[in-house]
Amino acid sequence: MARDPYHRRLRFPQFQVCLDGLPKLEAGRDEIILNLFPPCMLIFAQTSPVAAASVFEQILWWVGNAAEALILLRSIRQKLYEKYPAFYFYLGTVLMLQLFRFSIFVFYPNAFPAFYWYTQFLPATVGYAVILEIFKLGLKSSPGAARMARTVLWGVLGTVILKVFVDALSGSTWSMATSFTELERNLRTVQALLILAIIAVLAFYAVPNSRNLKGIIFGYGLYICASVMSLAFGSLPGNATRPGWRHVQPIAYLAALFIWTYSLWSRQPDPETEDEPKIERDYRLIAKQTGRALSKIRSYFKMGGEL
Amino acid sequence: MSQLLPYFAVGLLLLVALGLWARQSLTTRKGSVALSMPCERSSGAGSATPRRDLGERIFDLHDWDFVRCETTSEIQRLFQQERAVLAISWLRRTRRQVSFVMRTHATGVRRSKNLQPAMELKLLLSYLSLVMLCDILIGLIWLRGPVRTRRIVGQTFHWTARLRLAFEQLIAIVDPANRKAL
Repeated sequence: MARDPYHRRLRFPQFQVCLDGLPKLEAGRDEIILNLFPPCMLIFAQTSPVAAASVFEQILWWVGNAAEALILLRSIRQKLYEKYPAFYFYLGTVLMLQLFRFSIFVFYPNAFPAFYWYTQFLPATVGYAVILEIFKLGLKSSPGAARMARTVLWGVLGTVILKVFVDALSGSTWSMATSFTELERNLRTVQALLILAIIAVLAFYAVPNSRNLKGIIFGYGLYICASVMSLAFGSLPGNATRPGWRHVQPIAYLAALFIWTYSLWSRQPDPETEDEPKIERDYRLIAKQTGRALSKIRSYFKMGGEL
Repeated sequence: MSQLLPYFAVGLLLLVALGLWARQSLTTRKGSVALSMPCERSSGAGSATPRRDLGERIFDLHDWDFVRCETTSEIQRLFQQERAVLAISWLRRTRRQVSFVMRTHATGVRRSKNLQPAMELKLLLSYLSLVMLCDILIGLIWLRGPVRTRRIVGQTFHWTARLRLAFEQLIAIVDPANRKAL
């Protein structure tokens, strides 16, 4: 089985906590590594040399937490949490989880590994609520486009469910018991497909949206994209311990936080739609005329033959 | 490694989609596109609509036959170069026109409640095939010149027409009742 990016040597002997509490999936591995281990704990390490990478991780962790707190504070001030409750719940969950993990590590180090692994999927799961919110708010003013997106989303979900069943029946690699990393990677991949479908519909129909929502979509999409690719790359043999790839996910998350800080700094009104007539256009007529126009252009390419 | 390719593909696809969407959001406000019907729009005087006879003229082999018989190889090379530039320019205009038609359609129907996914998919496929055709032709002209491209395309269409005719004849034998539905 391919090694996942969570396998990284704990650098400090005093933090070689008991890993018996980990699920049996981790048994037999020589090095148990905690990827999103709060890097701030490395501050307390005195005996080992603190590499530049670990200092960098600590900076990322602290700046990330500060940015999350800032975004949450701004949301209270601007009352943005009323408009995007799922997104702020997601952000609050991530922040709370980070701080909670840190306190567990400091006060109950033996319980930390189990706590870490069991809470690993919480942000990924809450992320689905963010996608649902993006779908609802992003296509609120375009019922037709929303219908298209719903069709595509059901198609994506149906395909994923079908794949899971086929893999489970054939006894292939994908299963709940394969590994935590692969499960997270798969959760994130489904999110990536869903957000891809929403972006495709938003872009194709040029649905106008506020800067706030665009920022949420762009930041979250960027983070999901980086997560899928880094988790996939990290599961390749030999790549799990490469320091470069360990930083991709935190850096992408920090970039997403900066995007959110900028785009959610103040409450932006939804774009005006008065320039569009309120009269319902005859869809069939428009579709027919578009088809006719495309056929006309297609006829330019005949060049002596039928196309 | 091959098991991971779909994940990389999804990640890359999402990255590209994000980039294109960001560019679309930052550059022009597509929502302000004119909502007139595509056919009405394309017939306007002085519009950028590529004319069909212009395409036929550019790809016409009579000029080339004349140049090939009456002039030197240097003039033939110059003719090919200039004709390639013209052809690529015409194809780019055509591609822009296709995009404009689709954009107008998308803007016109996005608020419609009766939007039909099947019809949208059909139009989308038609649009994508046209865009791809333009791109392929541009590539071919760039690589092989307009005269050879004209011959390749002509032969391809000829074979397509023959295949289609054979298929229709087969359907007429197998299922005469639904022949017209094709």
